[in-house]
Amino acid sequence: MHELSIALSLVDAVCEELPRIGSHVSVKAVHVRIGPLSGVVPDALAFAFDIASSGSAIAGARLECQDADGRTLEIAALEIVDDAENC
Amino acid sequence: MTPRIVEVRKDILKKNDLAAAALRARFRDAGVFVTSLVSSPGAGKTAFLARTLSRLGQRYRTAALVGDLATDCDAARLRQSGSPVRQITTGTVCHLDAEMVDRALAGWAIDDFDLLFIENVGNLVCPASYDLGEHLRVVLISVTEGEDKPLKYPTIFNTSDVVVVSKIDLAGAVGFDREALLRNVEAVRPGMDVIEVSAKADDGLASWVSFLEQRFAVTVT
Repeated sequence: MHELSIALSLVDAVCEELPRIGSHVSVKAVHVRIGPLSGVVPDALAFAFDIASSGSAIAGARLECQDADGRTLEIAALEIVDDAENC
Repeated sequence: MTPRIVEVRKDILKKNDLAAAALRARFRDAGVFVTSLVSSPGAGKTAFLARTLSRLGQRYRTAALVGDLATDCDAARLRQSGSPVRQITTGTVCHLDAEMVDRALAGWAIDDFDLLFIENVGNLVCPASYDLGEHLRVVLISVTEGEDKPLKYPTIFNTSDVVVVSKIDLAGAVGFDREALLRNVEAVRPGMDVIEVSAKADDGLASWVSFLEQRFAVTVT
């Protein structure tokens, strides 16, 4: 339950970043860094992420979790593919 | 097409942290000291808070927000203290977040309060991740729960400021090992203050209230 709330915040945060990255991009993967004191379990977050991202601008993206220190809970990077122009 | 990597470095709970920071600034400007209570369900948060409100009620202007998945039973209980109380029903959500607190405060003149209490949903896991803008976070553990709670749920102890051991009137009946609990708290969070109380027997509440008053004095001046 709690990971679902976190996953929804994660999807919102990624979608907020998208306009800064470019208008014709698809997100293939979201890399997050999770510390042992963040209160978040990577497996549970990965499960919730698929539900939270479906129907969003980043539907279908993979979630990649990396270990980090302390209470860290952050989006480290996005794997982006530039969409083909239609002209 | 080969994917490219775009570095982002963005806190996932930034939205909650920003909302919590805004609340903290509001509380500071209003001169209100905010304490939140976390524990497992049934540890005695509401009984403890009811005693706290009655003790403080003569000298301070107090108020409380209380979170549960359903019902306003706790708000009704706490209102008997005479303090204004609002219930936050979360539906199925297992914790309070800063926006829920913000919404629950709507229309309240918080300048009129000295001390505001926020009783979180009974849960030792999820509330640890959400800053509510509080000045003091209290984790309650009742003697009936076992001495190993700090070892099993280190995150909530690490995000809290003080431990309140509740229901100490039952310590003998359940064979509570006080030294083991203190050792376990120390192992997870060295130097953390531990206050022992019984809301039912009205025991230990004076030490808790003086602890709270000290924190209130140094924070809101």
